[in-house]
Amino acid sequence: MKGTTKRIAVIVSDTLQSIGLQTLFSDYFAPVEIERFVSYDELLQHGSVDSFDYYVSEAETVALHSDFFLPRSSRTVLLTRQEGSYADSNALVVQHPQEELIAKLHQILTSGRQVDEMASGRELSSREIEVLRLVACGRINKEIAEILSISFQTVLTHRKNITAKLGIKTVSGLTFYALMNGYVTADQIGQ
Amino acid sequence: MPLGEIVHEYPMLIPIVGRFGIRLGVGEKSIGEVADQYGVDADFLVMVLNTYLNESYFPEQKLRSFHVSQIVDYLTKTNAYYLRFQLPNIEKHLNAFVATSSPSSRSSLDMLNGLFQAFKRELTGSIARDTEVDFPAFLALSQSCADGGCEEPQCVSSFPESEEQTELLLADMQNILIRFLSGEYNENLCYAVIFALNSMERDIRQHNRIRRRILYPIVGAMRQNAER
Repeated sequence: MKGTTKRIAVIVSDTLQSIGLQTLFSDYFAPVEIERFVSYDELLQHGSVDSFDYYVSEAETVALHSDFFLPRSSRTVLLTRQEGSYADSNALVVQHPQEELIAKLHQILTSGRQVDEMASGRELSSREIEVLRLVACGRINKEIAEILSISFQTVLTHRKNITAKLGIKTVSGLTFYALMNGYVTADQIGQ
Repeated sequence: MPLGEIVHEYPMLIPIVGRFGIRLGVGEKSIGEVADQYGVDADFLVMVLNTYLNESYFPEQKLRSFHVSQIVDYLTKTNAYYLRFQLPNIEKHLNAFVATSSPSSRSSLDMLNGLFQAFKRELTGSIARDTEVDFPAFLALSQSCADGGCEEPQCVSSFPESEEQTELLLADMQNILIRFLSGEYNENLCYAVIFALNSMERDIRQHNRIRRRILYPIVGAMRQNAER
């Protein structure tokens, strides 16, 4: 469950609008974790700005800080009052009826989800199983990279994919999964 | 609104009010009346109940206006509740679930029990640290500031990261049961285990939120004052 929770940053100066968005997301797109920011600067003060799956902000804010939002454009929802000006983008026209707002948000969130679901629907690749085995045996990422002769970054990518596919985030949980599926034995992990 | 009506509507609040020493049998009394009866700060009680009822409701400014000792006292009671009731409750259901499952799935469920033990070690270690190190240090710092000295006593150097680990382990256990369970098993007991894990996960999430976003910032601010 935790693995499918979407983290959404709402960067909106208008308090009522911000609460309204939070309510829409919580009521219609659960499970979600919403963090509200009154400005882009406040978002930057957040420890890890890249930890969010989606960003929602006024079109003006997005335009002002395009260096941040442009690389994340597929995950950014623009709030606008100008009908039709962003027809092909992730624009949300704030005065539209609730039903249309929900439909639009659904469209935006599910287009991103297709990637997640493709990842989570597949079985582990042989390389991912090798990484999982080493994780279960207590190896840290640096050691795994050396043993498999791959880069540290590649190990991180494999681990991210394993978690996306299995929905298991802790080393203890991954070890359990590896044991349960016979990828490692109790002796190998020192139990 | 009478507290009894609220608890009837949201029975998950029963353990929360219990942490304030409030027992059932509240009659038609309002929250304020019950709080008076038990010597509890009604504002603090309402604030805590609201954070549990509505996850998106988290009045940081208001919560930070409460005294460190109130928050530490509440978190201490929450820790005690985990040790006395929630951990044994999960363990009891898990043991019964494993014992009644088919032999073919027994070994993997035994391993799940191992995962629960890992969670238990993590949580009890974190609670021991609260009880023996962090909370006494926070209270001493708060007292020192109240006395005007604000001298920093033996205080923790950093805030623990194990809190998130406990939430993740609880989520992993539920996920493993929901997604990877196989073989013959007792559905009712399985539901009881998942329900118990889920209740604790929700509780710990609120507990950690109060620590991370209220208690630690207050203590951090006191430390800064102490350093000046």
